[in-house]
Amino acid sequence: MRVLPDIGAEVPIQVRAPSALDLFMFSASSWLLHRIHYDTPFTVEHDGHPALLIHGPLQGVYLVQSAESWLGDRARMSSISYRHLAPAYLGDELECGGRVIATDASGLELELWARKSDGTITTTGKARFERR
Amino acid sequence: MGVITDEARRWAEREYPSFDYRVTASDIAKFAQATGETNPIHFVRDAAVAAGYPDVVAPSLYPYVVRTHASALDPFDQLEPDGSPTADVPPLPTRRAMAGETRVVVGERVVAGDTITVTKRLAQMYEKEGRSGPLVFVEMEFTFTNQRGELVARENFTRIYR
Repeated sequence: MRVLPDIGAEVPIQVRAPSALDLFMFSASSWLLHRIHYDTPFTVEHDGHPALLIHGPLQGVYLVQSAESWLGDRARMSSISYRHLAPAYLGDELECGGRVIATDASGLELELWARKSDGTITTTGKARFERR
Repeated sequence: MGVITDEARRWAEREYPSFDYRVTASDIAKFAQATGETNPIHFVRDAAVAAGYPDVVAPSLYPYVVRTHASALDPFDQLEPDGSPTADVPPLPTRRAMAGETRVVVGERVVAGDTITVTKRLAQMYEKEGRSGPLVFVEMEFTFTNQRGELVARENFTRIYR
C-alpha cells in the first residue's frame, strides 16, 4: 500500500503569479466573459479595482494543483470546497500551500490556501483525497 | 429585510434547460495550458493511453468549463455591461455580485470524446443583514454526467449579491 503523509505534513508551497496572458487565457478557455479579468480600463475606471482580478476558480485550480503535484499517484481528489477572503490582483504573487488535517484508512483531508506575499489569505479551502 | 421578492424567488426556482457539451482533446489542452498544467496526459493522447486512460484526460476541475460555456452563449447584446450574462442576474435591488463558497465533488474522469450533460438548479437562496445592507446568497447546484450516465462532478456555487 502506498504511504500517505501524516497529519500536520505540509503541502510544498508553489508560487503562482499569473500574467495578463494567463488571466486572458483562463477566461478564453472557460468562455468566461466577465470583463474584470481581461479589460483593464473597465476594471480600473468603471469597477474601481487597482488592476485585473485573478479569477476565484483559477485560484481554486492552483490549490488543487499544489495538492495533486505533491500527492502524485498516491491519492486522487474526491472533493474540494473553497472560498475567497480577499481579492487577488494581476501582479500579486500567490503562495499556494496547505497541510494535512485528517487521515483515515481510505485517504486524507487537506487544508489549502493561497496567500499574498504580505500574508493576506485570498482563498482558503479543504480537499479530500482518496488513497489509490 | 425582505429584498428577496416573490419575483426573485420564481426567477431562481424556474426550470433550467440541461446543456450537452462534447469535450474535445483541444478543449482539454486549452484549459490545461491556461492553468499551467504540464503533465502530457492533458495534451497528448499517447501519454494519456500509457497512463491507462482511453484518451486525453481533463484536469480535476475541468467540468467548470462546461457550465461557464452553458451560461455564456447568449448574443453579446444580452450581456451585462461587465460582461456577465444577463440571464444569470437575478431580479434583485442589488446587482453587485461577488463569489461565495464553491464546493465540488469529483466523480469519473472526463476524457476527450465524452459528452457531458450539465443540469442546473437552485440549491438555496437566502438573505442576511450585512454591515452595509442586505446580502443575498444564491447557491446554484450544477450536476455533470457523462454519456454513460456516470457522475463526473457536482458543483455548488454561491454568488453573493450586495
